[in-house]
Amino acid sequence: MNKYFRELTVAAALVLLMLALAVFAPHFFQFQPFISRLTSQMPALVAAIGIALVIISRQIDISIGAQFSMCAVIAGVTAASGLPLGVAILAALGAGALMGALNGLLVAYLRLPSIVVTLATMAIWQEALRLWQQGRLLALPAGIKWFGCDQLTGQTIVISITFILLIVAAWAMKNLAAGRFIYATGTDAEAARLAGIDPQRTTFGVFVLMGILAGLGAVLNLVQSPQIQPNCGDGLELKAIAAAVVGGVAISGGRGTLWGVLLGMLLLANVNPALTHFHQPPYWEKAIQGLVILIAVMADGLRSRKNQP
Amino acid sequence: MLARHEVVLVLVILVEVLLFQALGRNFLVGRNVSNIFRHSVEIGLLAVAMTPVILTGGIDLSVGSMMGLCAVLFGMMVNAFGLDPWLAASITIAIGAFGGGINAVLITRLKLPPLIVTLGTFSFFRGLAEALTKGAESYSNFPASFLALGNSDIAGLPAQVWVFVVVAAAIWVLVHHTTVGRSFRAIGFAPEGARYAGIPVARNTSLAYIIAGAVAGLAAVILVSRLGEARANAGIGYELLAITAVVLGGVSIFGGSGNVSGTLLGWVALAILNNGLTRISDYRIMDQPVASVARELSGMLTGLLLLAALAIGAATKSLAVRRARLQSLSKSPSNPINP
Amino acid sequence: MKRKTFIASLALLATLPFVSCSKSESKGKLTIALLPKSKGNQYFVTCEKGARAAATELNADFKFDGPINSDPAKQNEIVENWITDGVDVIVAACENKDSISTALKKAQSAGIKVVTYDADAQPDARSFFCNQATAEAIGEQLMDSAASVTGSEGEFAIITGTLTSANLNEWIKSIKTQQAAKYPNMKLVDIKPCDDQKDKAQQEATNLLSAYPNLKAIVSVTSLGVPGAAEAVKQAGKSGKVKVVGLGLPSENRAYVKEGVTQAVILWKVEDLGYLAVMAGAAVAKGELIPGAKEFNAGKLGTMQVDGDNIVLGKPFIFTKENIDNFDF
Repeated sequence: MNKYFRELTVAAALVLLMLALAVFAPHFFQFQPFISRLTSQMPALVAAIGIALVIISRQIDISIGAQFSMCAVIAGVTAASGLPLGVAILAALGAGALMGALNGLLVAYLRLPSIVVTLATMAIWQEALRLWQQGRLLALPAGIKWFGCDQLTGQTIVISITFILLIVAAWAMKNLAAGRFIYATGTDAEAARLAGIDPQRTTFGVFVLMGILAGLGAVLNLVQSPQIQPNCGDGLELKAIAAAVVGGVAISGGRGTLWGVLLGMLLLANVNPALTHFHQPPYWEKAIQGLVILIAVMADGLRSRKNQP
Repeated sequence: MLARHEVVLVLVILVEVLLFQALGRNFLVGRNVSNIFRHSVEIGLLAVAMTPVILTGGIDLSVGSMMGLCAVLFGMMVNAFGLDPWLAASITIAIGAFGGGINAVLITRLKLPPLIVTLGTFSFFRGLAEALTKGAESYSNFPASFLALGNSDIAGLPAQVWVFVVVAAAIWVLVHHTTVGRSFRAIGFAPEGARYAGIPVARNTSLAYIIAGAVAGLAAVILVSRLGEARANAGIGYELLAITAVVLGGVSIFGGSGNVSGTLLGWVALAILNNGLTRISDYRIMDQPVASVARELSGMLTGLLLLAALAIGAATKSLAVRRARLQSLSKSPSNPINP
Repeated sequence: MKRKTFIASLALLATLPFVSCSKSESKGKLTIALLPKSKGNQYFVTCEKGARAAATELNADFKFDGPINSDPAKQNEIVENWITDGVDVIVAACENKDSISTALKKAQSAGIKVVTYDADAQPDARSFFCNQATAEAIGEQLMDSAASVTGSEGEFAIITGTLTSANLNEWIKSIKTQQAAKYPNMKLVDIKPCDDQKDKAQQEATNLLSAYPNLKAIVSVTSLGVPGAAEAVKQAGKSGKVKVVGLGLPSENRAYVKEGVTQAVILWKVEDLGYLAVMAGAAVAKGELIPGAKEFNAGKLGTMQVDGDNIVLGKPFIFTKENIDNFDF
């Protein structure tokens, strides 16, 4: 019980919010808007899953927004040139993997600090994209939207893919050796090495995985509308990191569950919709989100202080 | 090793100057040089103030948002409450220090990771600024005597550059010549060791964050004076630019090594890069004059420079470690590895 | 060694402000510099096309630069760089009205002529303001369109770019005024920013649709809000039931207009605005357009009326299903 205290408190906060909405703004739960809203939150959740793994392994990646945008544009350009959707998806995932591999190489093998490396790669991808696309909206061919299916099927696919990813990742973190390696590397890389784990390979792998997930998120976003805006990934890293942190992933590494990430994302992403449904002005959004992050973080601090001898 | 990094930076700066003077127009004219520094004082202030924080092994992502909040509060004090701008400026700096204090308490008392705490305050301070102005209001109509701070020259240099020189000198003295300041590196290098050595780690670390907040307040006042307007979006993105300057200057992001002069050189290199590219209109890239895409290019080049600086730093460090290991191995009398 | 190098380099740098090399000038040719609110916005990229065409016609040198993020200092820095370059005319769209005025006034005292377009600066920071239409006309047109597609009654919501944008706020004010004056049976229920992100506009519109079940129309005052809102309405299955109107580019909204999701896209000939602004700026620089003038010759646009210090392009143009294919921007 104590072990999952964090995740349970976030769940409680989320439940309270939902109750408040149910009482004061029941329209929130109408089927179609609810599903549409949920679907639009899935790409950020995919990115949050990736960043959680990065943080658990005691690294950080602030370039994921730029990666997301780049993958979206690459997929869009590929699709617009007439190639089938499958090729576009592979292009996005491949581009993400490559960008992740670059980060991984610099962090894991050259031992450079991840915050600065990803700051640098973020600048490079962001500005390169601006040079290339200069803000034009990119129109997508008709077969791309909702994977070529109708809306409800498409939404179901997007939500299912995300949740399957979440379940598989959560299971893998607990049961697969690779998952345990990530926790171990994040707790103490030296101890992990002595135990026979290769922390460099693990860290490299985590960054590549992050890149692939950024690409996947971009694809899931792509299929939700007929045009892409080249800077669609702006601000994603903050959203994802905040969701992970609120959900209990510790920045010092080694701790956190993906279910917590889901809860954190749902809580933060619904602040703005809640404000709309309560008919409140929108400029409170950032202050409230910042407060939630601080409360979550303080709760962590107080709890670990209590546990200290 | 430290000296080498700074020599490299000086070389980079010289190359930049020669390159931009050769390829660009109106680069080394008085007005442009004045602009180079005038446009980057705020980031320079944040960078020197961030140096003690990073030396202690921490980080402060909230300084840009603090600028936004301070700008708005300053504007309110002068416009809505009619305070004298210099009085309001002093109060603003105090508010910045208080904000830094919030970070400090969360980091030192609750032992929370600086990255996460300042990520939260990054969001929260900006959010407060937006809520206070309902996102839309801005404050202007400042008296000309105040606007002179950001827009006029004293003895040939822009007024705010003098302020920056004073602040940078003060922080340099603090970090390198006071016991408190010298403890920053010790804390960053080995916090537990510092504690055993009797250094008041919590108190000194707090000081670093409070200084960062106060200087952010000062930077906000200078920015408002330069622009003549106080708005909630002041300082967006500045924290990353400040961190870039610091890391470029050879300060280790892990803490424990680096100095203020490195940060200053890193800042100068970036300021010249950002300005110099806008001077090149005779050459084209991707079918546009370089000057038209200066911002995008400088962003990419900054990223590449940062990676290069990191890689060189890591390479020299591992070379030095290897050399030290070889030396100690060859000196020891009975060497099991190399008899 | 380290300290000596450092001091030496500081000394070298300190001499720089006193070094002065002669500026190169291209004699006889005007240099015109265009400043958008943001380089990444298709609306301003289109303005630039018209502006560049005007500069070519005038045989003038043309510079274009703009911010790529929302740092308010960036527009000022670009203007100050142009002062160093010694340009003759600056044509600016102002993101932060008061702060850009600081820089524009400096330009004016350096002898540079300043003309604004799309979003004005303070009146004493520029010679003339080229407005696509007056703020009143834009707001009225938007409100009239919303009313005409909803039968002049019902709730409506506005999607804006950012809450800080001065000209967007002026248009919103004018919408409210028009609504109060002519459409008492309509009610504005909410205003949401989309940060100029189409995806965010889509999410905001989705929330608006479910938070206000009686919503009859969504009005967007920013170009990226229209396709976002339209997509949300379409996905909610409310095409035609909740009307979408807004300021937007025909190219970004063509599909929605033809499908009947978006009833009207209002804009103006964006290229013409850029063209007009450059023409006006050049005319001011050449002394052909002075305060008190009632009209001036604006090249291929013919004779344009001058109203005080405002030059208005004309009335907003409404793109509908019938005419949208005729336009390519």
